[in-house]
Amino acid sequence: MIRHHPTPETLLAHAAGTLPAGHGLVVAAHLQGCARCRAELAALEAAGGALLEDLPPETLAAEAFAQVLARLDEPPPAPPPPPRQADLSLPHGLRLPAALRRAEIGRWLWIGTGVRYSRVRLPWAPEQNVMLLRVAGGRRVIHHSHGGAEFTQVLWGGFRDETGHYGPGDIGEADETLAHQPVADPEGCICLAALEGGLRLPWLTRLLGG
Amino acid sequence: MPPVTALDYPAPDASALAALIGRVAASRDRTAYATLFKHFAPRVKAYLRRAGMGGAEAEELAQEVMLSLWRKAESFDPARAGAATWVFAIARNARIDHARRRREVSFPDNAPEEEGHAPSAESLTLSAEREARLRGALGALTPEQQQIVQLSFFSETPHAAIASALNLPLGTVKSRIRLGLSKLRALLEDAP
Repeated sequence: MIRHHPTPETLLAHAAGTLPAGHGLVVAAHLQGCARCRAELAALEAAGGALLEDLPPETLAAEAFAQVLARLDEPPPAPPPPPRQADLSLPHGLRLPAALRRAEIGRWLWIGTGVRYSRVRLPWAPEQNVMLLRVAGGRRVIHHSHGGAEFTQVLWGGFRDETGHYGPGDIGEADETLAHQPVADPEGCICLAALEGGLRLPWLTRLLGG
Repeated sequence: MPPVTALDYPAPDASALAALIGRVAASRDRTAYATLFKHFAPRVKAYLRRAGMGGAEAEELAQEVMLSLWRKAESFDPARAGAATWVFAIARNARIDHARRRREVSFPDNAPEEEGHAPSAESLTLSAEREARLRGALGALTPEQQQIVQLSFFSETPHAAIASALNLPLGTVKSRIRLGLSKLRALLEDAP
């Protein structure tokens, strides 16, 4: 059962298309497994539709329609080539969220006792700091805070921190005001996370210290 | 052809728009497409202008959005989303891709659609009728709530920037969003 959902503001920003790409990807992973949030998002998108419908129309150039008509028979753009994705040897039965279909996924890198990291690179937004994390059972991540928003979607297993327990399908939104110390469940934890800020790897420093 | 203004013809209602998209999907009906273009292109351009684009840029991208509407007509499911909702989602995704292209010239084309950004009602049926009801519900929000919801949709500004633009604490912006959203939900649930 899913206990942790995106906040209403986050879902609104996702519907409006204003979340950073990495955070949007994590929210998309949550939506795939959460009918309640999909329904909520659909209502918010309908609000977007209603607002669009009510906007005062802006005149287009006289030749706009003719220009588009002339292009209707053009072939649609070819899809991008499939991204490189390392074989992560995931636990039996775990499939990565469909939202990662077009992302490049690196192999697991050891970054601390019991903690592995795989870089997720979005070819369409390569500056985004997105990763898969695999934390061994009972492993404690050192106490840390955030420079900006950190979204974490649990894919397998779970963890607990000061704000509660997070199991499969749960999403955690931590901002710069939260300092927490996640501890993986006995079976371990695999999650997808997006952090605000360039290509720094804050996990590296804080995990190595643990 | 005279400039497309969308003001010189009676606006088709939501179910008529849905039917027109159905005709494009079923038989590549260019007459139906022309009506959709007249209705939506000026609104999409207005949306893109509100998102901060210049006139020429918004014009060009509005044309791309209308071309996508032609190409993606088969994916429109009137049981899942109203016509305007579907067009909104296409325009929003185009805006996101455009912003990325502008930032990242090394990834020039074929930016993929994000999963979960397709109109996504599954357990909730948003018919054309429901979309129309939502327009009424938006009108029932307080002016402050309306302002925040509109800013959320039409500017690329994160909530922190909205807060500073309106000279409000971030917490106030967040609570207005929450109040507005829960009121919207209540209005939709009360509706017959």
